[in-house]
Amino acid sequence: MAEDRDTDEELLSELGAAMHRAAVVPAWFLDTASTAFEWHQLNIDLAVVTQDSATEPELAGARADPLSVRSMTFTGRAVTIGLEIDRDAVHGQVAPPQAGTIEIRARDGVSTTVAVDEDGWFAVRPKPAGAFRLLFRSDGGHSVLTDWAIV
Amino acid sequence: MRDDPVVVALVKSAQDGDQGAWDALVERYAPLVWSICLRYQLARADAEDVGANVWLRLVTALGMLRDPAALPGWLATVTRRECLRVIQDRSRQIPVESDEFPDETSPEADAELLKQERHIALRQAFAELPENCRRLLTLLFNDPPVAYTEIAKRLGIRIGGIGPTRSRCLAVLRHSAPMAAFAESPRA
Repeated sequence: MAEDRDTDEELLSELGAAMHRAAVVPAWFLDTASTAFEWHQLNIDLAVVTQDSATEPELAGARADPLSVRSMTFTGRAVTIGLEIDRDAVHGQVAPPQAGTIEIRARDGVSTTVAVDEDGWFAVRPKPAGAFRLLFRSDGGHSVLTDWAIV
Repeated sequence: MRDDPVVVALVKSAQDGDQGAWDALVERYAPLVWSICLRYQLARADAEDVGANVWLRLVTALGMLRDPAALPGWLATVTRRECLRVIQDRSRQIPVESDEFPDETSPEADAELLKQERHIALRQAFAELPENCRRLLTLLFNDPPVAYTEIAKRLGIRIGGIGPTRSRCLAVLRHSAPMAAFAESPRA
């Protein structure tokens, strides 16, 4: 394409296609970018999944164990959140330990807020059904939003 | 797009909290991110979820960005990964009948990314054209096309002047800085 230069007709048609691609992006999709920027400006740290027992190779016989506990770890820039999910509840710990609140946001928009104690511990009962993400706000003003977790 | 000074400046300003610079970056790359969501046929709630995560990752990664030319490829990879994640999340709740998702490692995916990169450069080059060129070209790539008599009337120029102006504007577009990267590096 470098030497064999495209014709005016081709260039014009490609330009039209490029402009069309931009025109069809819905306003609500662009809004997701504004929201992300606001979160970032508010210093919200995004914590990603760095460990999930559900994606690790299972030990023989462990699959059907009703007492088995699912563990997950979310890692952000300054804070790590570890979760243990059993049949009834989600138990978690914020590290390094610090007090604050944890908001559990379900995919359907329902959210619940629980306290995080000075040692960083918190518990959510009953456990959320389906997908959820956590927003931790420390008393010191730091905020961490986790990836989605599926239970 | 190597070392595109426009992108470098936008990234720097957005990092410093400039909402306008961020919006300009988003305007530039949103069509790429959106087109991938379309290919995965995401419902609105899922596309919102993907968008939120992709942009949050981008704004978080701005400080680590060394090479603006790598940005479209990075965004495409992150977006595909997020699309697959929401689909997998859904399929744990609702059985998914079709496993036919776009193959991200195929030559078609590479070709599509190159096309999107050209589109990004074309839109940038178009935005930098003089106003008379932008007005004329917009009428020319309109679908359905606007008749020359109508164009002449709207722009207040002679019909005979449309063809030469069109050629001149397209030549400027073709030799613009954003398009230069593609002329120098025939990858396809």
